[in-house]
Order: sequence, then structure tokens, then C-alpha cells
Amino acid sequence: MNEAEAIFLFAKIWGAIGACVALIFLTIGIERIDEDADGAYVFRPLLIPGILLIWPLVLWRWYILADGKDEWSSRYKPRRTAHHWIAFAMPVAIILVLVLGLSQRQIWPADFVPQQIAPAAQVSQ
Amino acid sequence: MSVKYTPVQWNRNKWLYDGVMLIGVVLFLYVFLFVSPEILSHEFPINPQVHNARAFGAAAFVMLTVILCIGPLARIDRRFLPLLYNRRHFGVMTTFVAITHAGFIIDWYFAFSSSNKFEALLFANTSYTQLAGFPFEVFGVFSLLTLLLLAVTSHDFWMKFLTPPVWKRLHSFIYLAYISLVAHVSFGILQDQQNHTVTVIFIGGALCVAGLHAYAAWLDLRKGDKPGTEKDGWIEVCKTSDIENGFAKIRVLPGGDRVAVFNQDGKLSAISNACAHQNGPLGEGKIIDCLVTCPWHGFQYNVTNGRSPAPFTEMVPTYNLRLSGDSIEVQTQANPPGTYVEPVPLPDAKPQEVMA
Amino acid sequence: MSQNDKPFFVGYFPIPGQLKGFLALISVGVVLLFLLAGLVIGSTQDDPGQSGFRFDYGRQTVTGVVELTPYPILRVTEGNDLIKPGKTLMLAAAGKSGVDARAAPHEGGLVQVSGIVLQRGTIDMLQLAGGQRGLSAAEGDTPEFDTEPLGRWKLAGEICDGKCLNGAMRPGRGLAHKACAALCLINEVPPVFVSSQPVEGSDFMLITGLDGGRLPDMAYDFIGQFITLEGELERRGDILVLRMDPETLEVIDG
Repeated sequence: MNEAEAIFLFAKIWGAIGACVALIFLTIGIERIDEDADGAYVFRPLLIPGILLIWPLVLWRWYILADGKDEWSSRYKPRRTAHHWIAFAMPVAIILVLVLGLSQRQIWPADFVPQQIAPAAQVSQ
Repeated sequence: MSVKYTPVQWNRNKWLYDGVMLIGVVLFLYVFLFVSPEILSHEFPINPQVHNARAFGAAAFVMLTVILCIGPLARIDRRFLPLLYNRRHFGVMTTFVAITHAGFIIDWYFAFSSSNKFEALLFANTSYTQLAGFPFEVFGVFSLLTLLLLAVTSHDFWMKFLTPPVWKRLHSFIYLAYISLVAHVSFGILQDQQNHTVTVIFIGGALCVAGLHAYAAWLDLRKGDKPGTEKDGWIEVCKTSDIENGFAKIRVLPGGDRVAVFNQDGKLSAISNACAHQNGPLGEGKIIDCLVTCPWHGFQYNVTNGRSPAPFTEMVPTYNLRLSGDSIEVQTQANPPGTYVEPVPLPDAKPQEVMA
Repeated sequence: MSQNDKPFFVGYFPIPGQLKGFLALISVGVVLLFLLAGLVIGSTQDDPGQSGFRFDYGRQTVTGVVELTPYPILRVTEGNDLIKPGKTLMLAAAGKSGVDARAAPHEGGLVQVSGIVLQRGTIDMLQLAGGQRGLSAAEGDTPEFDTEPLGRWKLAGEICDGKCLNGAMRPGRGLAHKACAALCLINEVPPVFVSSQPVEGSDFMLITGLDGGRLPDMAYDFIGQFITLEGELERRGDILVLRMDPETLEVIDG
């Protein structure tokens, strides 16, 4: 098995576990932890791809909410407090990537004249 | 909002928004796919699969560039806020366009061999240790996976389930995805392109995103919400005359949380600045029909108890406040969401305003 | 100005009058931006070059002698209107695959091949049909062909896969195409070197290892990049074969 095959095997296993989580969560879990989902069924299939991708996070949040461990203050801590860091780091990264990319660009060596360095050996086949 | 979840929420403005964006994208694809081959008129034309892949790839880049410009634009000039309102729909649209791009590439450059085409995507070029000739496809894969992750977690359910801060952090991966997209283009098509029109458009777009973010952040550092100084668990917010009726003053609390002190008809109330929906800045909103209205998506709260009007069930924390001379002070410790706090009348409020 | 005079947009309410003009302008602007971007980006793509499959010529059937360079080539002995005797053809199969396994048993022997022509200026490659139809032993005299050594050369240019370069894909070279070219070469499509200027009348040549074996693994990292290298050049009919010296491969600056 090469690395590519291993990565795809991992992705398949990840997705399969996610599918199991999705099945249980969307049938019996969701309405116990979110009253807005009680009686709402049409939107549930829409959540399946998300659960496939981030099922460990889903299990974690499910556990926190079902266990009543959700701390209300954690809901009101906007990311914007850390946004300055991103807002300045991203432009730097973009410029860095652009400069690196442009620095690698090559020009077709149209002027290079093929050079014969040594004549053919006398022995021919 | 806290009524039963539906698959997609639409209203008149959202239809308009989606309509305008869709027209833009469809026009982009139409002229790229059907008009440009006529203009190019190459004797041996570019393969349709490559042409299609480029059309969808270029569209995804322009779309993501526009999306990322909306945030800082709305912070620089509030008139752009309506563009923020339905940005998620445009993001999902971008994901579909990006998937189409990837589909054409994989079905062309990585198909027709004895190997699995998805595996081939990872092993065909293994020059991971060099810059030139680096397998730039992996940058695209990263961006696409991120877009997918954001699209599939874009439903409001996820926001409530994961909590707005976690959801927002997850969705701030979009910045990494954009950097990765810039790398995908820089180490891909940009290396080969001889006509530099695309190079200029691409660099211009990327620099727009970079520049707007830096400028908006710099503005925020200069003019943004100021921290208050704490004294015995209370901080001074502003003078009693500073808050216009129907609006708020925002202060950053010692722990980094923000409080918004509203003046509703001469009475003061303090609530968390973070909306329960997406943690939008409530203090930058205004009171409409006796309800604080978030400037991002219009979620509303009663300013005295931080509760959304029925049938909605969202709540935000409230804060105790008091007057000290002509200063308004707020207790730094928040009350649990939905706690009623008796409004504090402004001393110089005209009686009729209080009556109102 | 009082904050109250500034327009305040709420998504589920009608758009405030003061914002209508601005938003209409932005909407038109966004649509125009997309339209123009699509038009300009679409219509400034580079010409992918004069090459392609010639399905319009129909299926070609010729006879010749198989040589392994180690990539199989065919020295045509009995041609047709399009492909004359004396012509040398590189051979490949459909998709991203070569015909090494099918051609090897016939090394030095006379075969009949049948397939679709790939043309880039001159006709230099034939994509063989599957099975016996595409390649089968032929009866008749098997002439001897010369390989003319041309000495050691230093060349500048780019390593590609011979099939895409010959028009199986347009564009079929460069770094954006690198992974596809590598996939072709892994699957035994003959590799070629495109020279900055013609050598002995040809601007591209089959490229192999120095010992006449397959393209060395190290060369895969330089596919699509502009490089200089040295190697032993030889002529086989009307195509050139470059046996590259891996020690001399250098990436061109800038």
C-alpha cells in the first residue's frame, strides 16, 4: 500500500464512522439537545455531510450538551478578539506566497543554442 | 432563529442577493465558456475539459476574492453590511463552483491511467521538497476541503450546536483556504501563463483582499472599541450625555468581553455586545420597535433582559450598571443570559422621553 | 449627523430608501465585475500550440520494425499515403499508457500497427488500437536499420510526456501539466525533451537514461521546468533520441 492508498483508506474509515454517528445523532440525538430540531425533519439530511467531516467534534458537543456541561459564558466570546492577528498575518502570507511564486517563474530559454560538446564516437553500431 | 429549523432560509432580500450573485457567476461562466473560444480562435483549441476547468477555477477564485472583501468593506463602511447579510449562500455557491473545477481537473489530468484517479492526484507529482514544480494541486485540495467543511456546516443548527465562537473559529479557516488558493494559482497556472493579463487580475484580487483586511484591522486598532479601566469590579463606560437615544456605547471589559450600554428612551441598559447567533456586534446595532437589532443578521433582543421576543428563544447576558456622577459604570461580571436588570434612568432625561 | 439618520439595514425588512441606490450600484458593479473578469480571463489564455489527435485522418495502418529505446518506436517499412516508409513513429496506447509490454516481444521484428495519429508539425506518434488490432506480428523481410550517433550535446528545454506534447492534451506541457505528464511517464508513455532550438532539424526528441534505459527517476522532479542538460544524441530514422546524463541536469535561473 502506498501513501495515497493509505490516505484514502483512512478517509473511507473516517467517513464510515461519521455515517454511523450521523445515523444515531440525526434519529435520536438531535432533538434531545436542540429544541428547535424537535419535529423538524426536512433539514436533517442537510447535516449529514457535516457530521461525516467533523464527527469527533459532533460527539464531543453532543456529550457536553446532553450532560448539561455547556457553559453559557463560552457562547459570548467572539472570535474578533483574536481577529487582528489574522487580519495582519493573512496579508503578509498572501504577499509572501505571491513573491515566492513569481520568483520561481522561468523564461523559456529561446536564445539558448544547442551545443555539440563532443563529436560522435567513431565506432558506430 | 428559534423556530423550527428549515433546510434553507430565504426572504425577499436573500432572493435578491442570491439572484444578483447567481447572475454574476452565470455571466462569468457563460462568457468564459462560450464567448472566449470565439475570441481566442486557436487553430487547435484548448481542450474543452481544460477550458471548463479553467472557467470554473477562475470563477471560484473571483468569487472567493469578492467574499473575502465583504467583511473588511463592511467594517470600513457600514453601507456594505447588506452584503454580509447573506454571504453564506454565496460561500456555498463558491463551493459548488470549486467542486466542478476539481471534477474537470481530476477527470482529465488524473484520469485515463490504470490508477485510481483520486490516488493519482496525490502520487503523480511527488516533488514536495522543491518550490518550482511543487505539487500545487495539494494547495487546491486543502482549499476545496476547507470550502466543503464550511459549506456543510453553514446551517444555523451548527452555529447553535458548536457555539458561535467555535463556529466562527472553524469558519475563519477561510483565511487559510484563501492563502492556500493563492499558492495553488501561484505555483500552478501562473508559472506557465505567457499572457500576463491573468497574472495582473490574480495579483490585483489577492492584494485587494490583503490590503482591505490590513486596512480594516488598522482602522479598528485606531478607532475601535476602547477598554475601560476596572475599579472594584466596575468600569466606566462613558458620560451620561454620550449615548444617543436608541443606540449604544461599547467598552471592552478586562477579560476581553465587550459590553454594550444602550439608551432606550432615556433609560440605560447593558447587555453583552456578542449576539447569540454569530456573535455579531450588538452595540453597533440600534433599537427598533423597543428591541436591540443586530447589524449583521437582524436578531433582536429586549435590552432589559437580553431575551429575544417569542417565539424566538435566543438570549444574551446582561450587565448591572449604575451612575457615578455623570459617568455610567458597568459591573464587569455578566449576569446569566436572560437576567432582567432594572434600567437606570438618565438624570437629565426629559420626562416625556422617559414616558415614551 | 445623528446615528439615527444613517440607514440601518435589517435583512427581513424592506431595504432603507437611502441604501437602495448604493446597493443597486453595487449589484450592477458585481455583475459587471464578473462579466468582465470572465471575458478577460477567458480570452487571454495562451495558445496551446499546433498539435492534436488527427481523428479526421482516420485510422492508419502501417508496417515496420519495432525498436526499443527502451521506449518502443516503429521504423516504418511499408507505409501509406500519410505515413511514408522511412518514417519513425513513437508508439503509445489509449489513455495514459505505453505499449512496452505489447511491443517488447517483437523487438527487432516486423509488425503491423494500427491507430490514430498524433500530430505536432510532423506526425510523430501513433496511438495504437487495443489488442491484436493495434499491434501484431507481420510476415516479410525484416530490414536492418542504422542508429547514427551524433555526439554529446548540451541542450536547454523541458521534459514532457510525448503523448500530451503531441497534442493528446492542449496544453500538454508546463508546470500546471506536470502531474499529468508524470502520470503518463509512470505508465510508460515515451518521454520527450523539447529543445529551445532545433537540433539536427528537430525541436524535440525522445529522452532516455544514459545507459539507454528508462528515464531516470530523478528527472521526474524536473518535468515541466526549464532545464539544461547534456547527453548522447543519436538519430533513429527521422527522430532523435537523447540519452541524458543525470549529473548534468541544471534548472535555468529566472
